[in-house]
Amino acid sequence: MEEVSTPVRDRPKRWDLPFSMDFGNEAEQREMSLTQLNDLFSRKPFSEMDSSRFPASLPLESIVANDTRIRLYREGDTIVRQGDYGNSAFLILEGDCRAIIEGLDPSMLGRQSGQSKSLLKSVTGLFTNALAPEVRDSRLYPQHHEAPVFDPSGTVFVQDVPNILELSPNVYSEAKHNVIPEGSLFGELAALGRVQRSVTVVAAGPGTTTLLEIRWQGLRDLMKFDSALRDHINQLFRQNGLQGAFQTSPLIQAINLDEEQWDQLLAEAEFETFGSYDWHGTYQELRQRDGDLLTQEPVVQEEGHYPNGLLIVRAGFARMSRRHGAGEYTLGYLGKGDVHGIKELMHNVSSDDQSPIQTTLRAAGYTDVVRVPTRTFEQVIYPAIMKTWPDGNFPEKFLGERMERQKTAASPRRLSRRGDHRKEEFSGAPMMEFLAENRYINGTATMLIDLDRCTRCDDCVQACASGHNNNPRFIRHGETHDHYMIANACMHCADPVCMIGCPTGAIHRSEGGGEVVINDVTCIGCGTCANSCPYENIRLVNVRDKSQDDALMVDANKGKAVVKATKCDLCVEHHGGPACVRACPHDALTRADMSDLLGLSEWLNR
Amino acid sequence: MKFRMRRLLFLAALLLAFLILTPYAIGYQIAFSDVVFTSGWLLFAIVLFLSSYNVRKKLTYPPLLKSSTWLQIHIYLGAASLVLFLFHTGGKIPAGNLDIALYTLFSLMVASGFFGLYLTRTIPATLSSRGNEVIFERIPMFRRQVKDRVEQIILQSVEESDSSILAEYYESYLMYFLSGPRNILGHLVRSERTSSRLRHELRGADRYLDARDKELASELLDLIKLKDDLDFHYARQGLLKLWLFFHIPMTLVLLMFLVAHIVLIYAFTGGAS
Repeated sequence: MEEVSTPVRDRPKRWDLPFSMDFGNEAEQREMSLTQLNDLFSRKPFSEMDSSRFPASLPLESIVANDTRIRLYREGDTIVRQGDYGNSAFLILEGDCRAIIEGLDPSMLGRQSGQSKSLLKSVTGLFTNALAPEVRDSRLYPQHHEAPVFDPSGTVFVQDVPNILELSPNVYSEAKHNVIPEGSLFGELAALGRVQRSVTVVAAGPGTTTLLEIRWQGLRDLMKFDSALRDHINQLFRQNGLQGAFQTSPLIQAINLDEEQWDQLLAEAEFETFGSYDWHGTYQELRQRDGDLLTQEPVVQEEGHYPNGLLIVRAGFARMSRRHGAGEYTLGYLGKGDVHGIKELMHNVSSDDQSPIQTTLRAAGYTDVVRVPTRTFEQVIYPAIMKTWPDGNFPEKFLGERMERQKTAASPRRLSRRGDHRKEEFSGAPMMEFLAENRYINGTATMLIDLDRCTRCDDCVQACASGHNNNPRFIRHGETHDHYMIANACMHCADPVCMIGCPTGAIHRSEGGGEVVINDVTCIGCGTCANSCPYENIRLVNVRDKSQDDALMVDANKGKAVVKATKCDLCVEHHGGPACVRACPHDALTRADMSDLLGLSEWLNR
Repeated sequence: MKFRMRRLLFLAALLLAFLILTPYAIGYQIAFSDVVFTSGWLLFAIVLFLSSYNVRKKLTYPPLLKSSTWLQIHIYLGAASLVLFLFHTGGKIPAGNLDIALYTLFSLMVASGFFGLYLTRTIPATLSSRGNEVIFERIPMFRRQVKDRVEQIILQSVEESDSSILAEYYESYLMYFLSGPRNILGHLVRSERTSSRLRHELRGADRYLDARDKELASELLDLIKLKDDLDFHYARQGLLKLWLFFHIPMTLVLLMFLVAHIVLIYAFTGGAS
């Protein structure tokens, strides 16, 4: 029987929600007016853009109307924070901004000071832990001292810089800063390249500073169809980002290029982006669909094709696979600084027998790569490699540890022939598949439990709770592969998508070890981080007030419970590393850095 | 470090300790020195250290070595204490009620330790190879969910078909099976007799069922398997927890008897010469 369907609503489209309406705070939601749009088109760079170059499906006017929004900042307000991840760039329409490069205390940016507890405090904490769950000292929360600050545009600033400036009137003189003049664009490299903001930018007035915030999708499209903007941003990237991207590669660092070689490399290298910046949003949805997730990942470089350059991963992850029967099996994955295609290029330079690419590289979610064209490789990198290692055999470690898997990972056929299943299978293709498929490759401290050794005693959970005022910060439950479980504990991702969009900067990387932590004082419980985490490792909890006999904390104005985001902090406040690992009596639990595949392989095959 | 290497290292350390201590013990015996006091105090110190592992477990801070390192020391020192105990007692069952009680307690302590070691090394692998991974405390909740779903199915069967076969089957077999953890002892020896019998009975009734009941019976079979897996986890995870309830409290009793033993020895012999 034919199924009858009734149209309920239009299929969701890209611009259903214009950027100007995409605010949690209703007071800020306002569509761009015609006057505002006309004003924008009278300014650079929009006035110089040729709208006829934009396709009918993506008209310039629609991009500007839907992918940008006007933001107003008072003098001293923070626009972007150093270390944050952001998905938009800013064009200064009126006023100036200051980029503070160094000198600001982390607490001024809504972050924790990074100081750990004294040993005595850790020990006494074991005996003074609260009996009720999620108890906090409300006296530490700023709303007990002052009401939240609202600026004229309706933006709430819990950790606003004017207050900081008042507290530290000489902050500008102490901090190293540069003025960014009116008409400048900033934040584009962090938005497009998915890297942390390298500086803190504050509005420098005079009076109100007006900015145009452009979300990355719009910026990408503007770059695509406007060559001037593309060249401008490419130029900025070449000036500021490209050398840094090369520096992440152990190989490029090792070969000691001279100034002339650097200039040629920087002039000829290209940067490309694959996959979706918002991969965390679509990843769960993709997993629900039938079919192979691997085939839905965009191809960066394909097995059997001509090696058109050396690829260096700048940000994100890429899955390396090889054809096997009707499908492909995962050999490993590449992360920041790893290279792809070098063996084929090295072979081809010195041989008439040209080798195609041996493995397919796919964007696992999102991958930002720098491509050194084959010609540039032959002229710059190859001679430098031969100068450093005259026999052309450079140590594998210069490819990045993940790359070494290409050499050591055996194909399934070889595994069965070898007959050494136990030794190889735990870190072989199926495990790589599991890690890549579920995007666990993102973790730098993934909680891995060997279920063949775990006695389910929950000593790990109890140890975690005892270090966090009786609140465990993970659940001993999660996806399993063979007899290994990836527990629901924050993985402290290399690409922490949870940090995107935090309105107060409460979720951030710690100063010392780079752990992703939440500052409980500045967290406003909006849930942005919890919704963004693709692994469901952040939980929102109702908090209780220690000074009110552990009663639930309630917002006095709205009558709603006060909520905070919580997650594993790797016991960053305590000495001795993660309590869960130290508490496991059977060596069943580890916090694995997925970029260290050899270490992981050793642990799996103990 | 590979587990094999760790085992070899600990065994080598243990062997070295024996190689060093044995000549001392022989030397003292040749010199007619009373080594029983020395071995007694050494044994007491070892028992005290072994029992401190439980305190270390409670103290997450300060970071005093990993718990797994403590456990390794606990295991090998526990094994060494057995040798020292046999040396101390001369391999004979002592006379006197207190000493007999102490002897029995120590033997039970060591036996429960080895039993626990056996359990912790064998049960986890059986858990990870059967059913879904489930947290022990959540098992009753899942059991209730299975029971609720089964009851829904039976009600559906009664409402949607004329037959009462599934309802009778539920009343005769499933109701008891679902009302709590079942086949606990069977699961400890990996026997699936109970669930196998239930499935056999249901499959036997298959030819009397109409198409709709057959569908429901098929789901019932899955649920029986699910409940059986939950019981399996309950029994085996439970045993892993239970043996510690025996091993740990007995440590305290043993320590009390040891103190009494030392006091009595010193009271009636005047202590070591």
